Amino acid sequence: MTLRLKKILLLMTPLAIALSFATAPVQAADTDLSLSDQGIQTSADGGLLEALMFYACAGVTLACGFAICLSKNIVRMAVYLFGTLAAVALMYFLLLANFIGVIQLIVYAGGTLILLIFGVMLTSKSPWAKFEVKRSELIAAGIVCALFAGMLLFVVVNAEWPLETDAVVVGSSMTQFGTGLLTDYLVPFEAISVLLLVVMIGAAYMARQE
Amino acid sequence: MGNYEIALCIGVVAPLFMFAVLAFFGHRIGKPTSGWVAVIGVLASLGCATYVLAGWLSATDKAALMATTGYDWVVLNLFGNEMPIEFKVKLDGLTVMMYFMVTLVSTCIFVFSIGYMAGHSDEVDGQCKFHRFFCYLSLFEFSMLGLLISSSIFFLFVFWELVGLCSYLLIGFYFDKKFASNAAMKAFITNRVGDFGFLLGLMLVFVFLQTFDLDQAAANFRHQYATGTGIFAADIDILGWHISGMGLATLMGIGLFCGAMGKSAQFPLHVWLPDAMAGPTPVSALIHAATMVAAGVYLVARVFRLLTPDAQFFIAVIGCITLTITALIAIVQVDIKKVLAYSTLSQLGYMIFGMGVGAWPAALFHLITHAFFKAMMFLGSGQVIEGCHHVQDMRKMGGLRKKMPVTCWTFFIGVLAIAGFGIPGMHIGLGGYFSKDEVLAVAYERTYNWEDRFGGHGKDDEHGAENAHSDASREDDLILRSGKVILASGQAHDEHGTEEHSADEHGAEAAHGESATHGAAAHDAGHGGHHDDPVLAGIAAQQRKIPKWMFWLPIIIAYVTPFYMMRCWWMTFMGKPRDEDVHHHAHESPLMWAPLIVLAIGTVAASYMMFRPQLGEAAVIASDAPLVVAVDGEVPDKAQHEMLGLSHDKAKDPHGALVGIVGFSWLIGMGLAVLIYRNGLELAERIKRLPLVGFIHWCLMEKLFFDHIYDTVLVKGTRSVLAGISNLFDMLVIDGIANLLGRGTVRIAEFSGNIMDTGGVDGLVDAIAESTQGASEMVRQPQTGKIRNYILFGTTGAVLVLAAIIAVVMS
Amino acid sequence: MFEIGLTHYLVVATLLFVMGIFVMITKRNAIGILIGVEMVLNGANINLVAFNRYNGMSNIDGQIVSLFVIVLAAAEAALAVAICMNFYKNLNTVDVDHGDTLAG
Repeated sequence: MTLRLKKILLLMTPLAIALSFATAPVQAADTDLSLSDQGIQTSADGGLLEALMFYACAGVTLACGFAICLSKNIVRMAVYLFGTLAAVALMYFLLLANFIGVIQLIVYAGGTLILLIFGVMLTSKSPWAKFEVKRSELIAAGIVCALFAGMLLFVVVNAEWPLETDAVVVGSSMTQFGTGLLTDYLVPFEAISVLLLVVMIGAAYMARQE
Repeated sequence: MGNYEIALCIGVVAPLFMFAVLAFFGHRIGKPTSGWVAVIGVLASLGCATYVLAGWLSATDKAALMATTGYDWVVLNLFGNEMPIEFKVKLDGLTVMMYFMVTLVSTCIFVFSIGYMAGHSDEVDGQCKFHRFFCYLSLFEFSMLGLLISSSIFFLFVFWELVGLCSYLLIGFYFDKKFASNAAMKAFITNRVGDFGFLLGLMLVFVFLQTFDLDQAAANFRHQYATGTGIFAADIDILGWHISGMGLATLMGIGLFCGAMGKSAQFPLHVWLPDAMAGPTPVSALIHAATMVAAGVYLVARVFRLLTPDAQFFIAVIGCITLTITALIAIVQVDIKKVLAYSTLSQLGYMIFGMGVGAWPAALFHLITHAFFKAMMFLGSGQVIEGCHHVQDMRKMGGLRKKMPVTCWTFFIGVLAIAGFGIPGMHIGLGGYFSKDEVLAVAYERTYNWEDRFGGHGKDDEHGAENAHSDASREDDLILRSGKVILASGQAHDEHGTEEHSADEHGAEAAHGESATHGAAAHDAGHGGHHDDPVLAGIAAQQRKIPKWMFWLPIIIAYVTPFYMMRCWWMTFMGKPRDEDVHHHAHESPLMWAPLIVLAIGTVAASYMMFRPQLGEAAVIASDAPLVVAVDGEVPDKAQHEMLGLSHDKAKDPHGALVGIVGFSWLIGMGLAVLIYRNGLELAERIKRLPLVGFIHWCLMEKLFFDHIYDTVLVKGTRSVLAGISNLFDMLVIDGIANLLGRGTVRIAEFSGNIMDTGGVDGLVDAIAESTQGASEMVRQPQTGKIRNYILFGTTGAVLVLAAIIAVVMS
Repeated sequence: MFEIGLTHYLVVATLLFVMGIFVMITKRNAIGILIGVEMVLNGANINLVAFNRYNGMSNIDGQIVSLFVIVLAAAEAALAVAICMNFYKNLNTVDVDHGDTLAG
């Protein structure tokens, strides 16, 4: 497991991104012309291609996540996290949530991650500092998490979700978001605006030099 | 948007731009330059104002020029119909005149400030405050001009609050001094009280008239009056207090007026203005004499069409009280700025009073002349204070005439103007001679000639009062009565046959122009300022006769005003120097006296030139209020008839009827002041020692105890009520519980103490202690203080819960 | 197998979620814990978007909520980094195991 495997995993991230770009026109060609003319994605029967895309994304996500679990170096963890976040963003595109995908890339991969790296640089004496964890702790954590994962998966797989059958599903548009944020979700929207302001002030206050 | 509207907008935005520049780069621009930056902004506004004014004056068809253009800011979907909140520029005679006045006065004051603030902006926390002053001034300029061009009462309110904020910032400019920051807070809080009423009025307007646009609101108001719908159909019971439609409309008017009461510092909210003199003197001149405090009067002028007769009467009463008490207080003040502050209050009282009695053009005319001469006098006092090194006490001045001649004589022009200097019979006079006396003349007509006018309706006041609260069944009666009014005014018409014809044409044009913009409601209700409009006449028929005291009090104060102003001038500039040190240092500088001369010229010009007739025009075109009265001979004749004006020949000249009463008040008042203060303060001191005078003097020195009353009733009252409540709570609840527990414990101890003690208490105690220790040792183990362990435990808990749920569901 | 449905996404989300918790437990570096938190939030977010997608997509409620989550996560990250820096300033390390001065 080791270095080679990690390198391969790292390489897969740009590969997945490239793949998504490559498949985008194919998908558009499949779909209803009138909708694709408007630049709106629809859920055509993606079939094999969609499945391949999904497995690629899921693979990258989980592989990078697993790599984070194993890694002992904080900078490498951050880089793997980028892989996870980017793959999740691609998954959002697959789920026809274009806007969320873009936001995920911009805010998470672009902003939060940079913030993390800055945090690493500002707080560690050396970026390669390692903190060893006791083996017993690792084992306990592994057992608990495995149990947790197993039960959750059991629920997820066996549950019958009350889903609406989907005919042709139309992707979300910016208009929907704009209207939603200013009508139904106005209160949380305003609340979150205030929260962001408070966080901005609070973060600046906490991080300032005395 | 036409050129003029764009010019108005540019004029508004220019100071805002300079505000931004000064706010961000002010500290780099430096001391004198940042002042000039602000001056550039306000000069741009003045340029725009001049352009618009020139266009307005040269236009032959003013109705065509009048406009309300802009866009919908927000369209609300309320009450089942769409209600746009419009962001629109209003262009009419009133806006143009006020806009020009504000920009001109503030240009002078900005220039003056550069000289004044050089010596008055010390550093605080190592930061020079000079640029900050001009930064605030620019923001104020922006807000004030925005207030003037708003066509929507909503945006008017927004700018209204902005000027209030600027006023707060500038009063508290020396915030490192306790009295200044206190004064700023006082002004702000007092204004909040008024603005609360304003807000209530605004809500009533919004709910019942369903629009914020002033013209549209007026049209809706009249339509609702004519049809008895909307606010006039209201029938509300609040706490057992029945409010009929007319009463609610009156409350709406009074609510809107509350805003004006706060900003224009009318009784009982007048207490903040004298304290506001803690700000720098240019601020007092600009905000607390010329522009912002006049905004209240402007507001009343704007919403005049929404005022019921009762509301107008209320306004008149408030104005009358204010102008009286403040003028009396002004007599005894010794601080030069305080004298000016109280005289400002008194003059504002005159304006509000004028509005209340229906002297719409006269009150606005007085506003404009007052702005010029009061700004000039404040700047003069600033010059004096600066020259005397921050001495404001007039008792230490005297004899400054030779040291600062320009200040002295421009100030004297101001004194003449406020005193109402003029020679009856000839067209010579200054400021108040035309404007204040016109207000008084209208009040005279409302008091003594009202019955002739409305066929004796003024006589039965009770009937009118009942009618004010009329319900639907009285509506017919109203129409009948208004029919009589038409008859009465019709006779007046016949006297001026041909002129009236042209007037009608003009009105028709106005009606046409406006109904095109304001839609069907306005059209149905009928538009234009005709007094044969049954709706208008119906409202006007309810106008009351003014009680006699409300006419005579302003007349008496017209004698008091020249007295205290002359006293102020004489104590400052004439006589012998009373303090050698102050006198020795006195000087004046050109940057500061040049604006004084401009304002002096402005004062003279404002008294004679374009403002008055233009306001008359504005009254004709813009105001289709139920009662607008004007008496000045200078108003074009056509305007005379279109307003519900007084067409008595004798009333045309304000001094025709009043020459014996008020014509020479300036001479008497000023003469009395000279007689008393001719030889310094000795005579005044001797008068003060007379028995009754001493008491009155003490009362006036204490500002008639308003501050004491507010302090005792409101501030201390609130505190003591809260303290009482918490005391009561302490005594009843806390003490009660404590006592109950105490007694209960004693009883239980008495009852069972012996058994418990002698029984196995010790063993039990030991057992409990040991088990506690053991348990805590056990519980302590997982409390490692390490966050990661906590996460692990939390997850374990989640796993257990999940397992339990799964187990339950599966089984 | 090739018909991708809701369950597929939920499985991925679950695994990501659990891995995030694992990371939170086993990393002693404060920033590492933060990374774990981000993974947990992402797992939850996938759930939201996936349910939104497979419920006919007649509205975008799930997506809007996930938008809020992203915004909150950004805010949380900013604050957490500030906290980490304070932590570092006070204890001269980012090892969270040293932050046990309040332990009972």
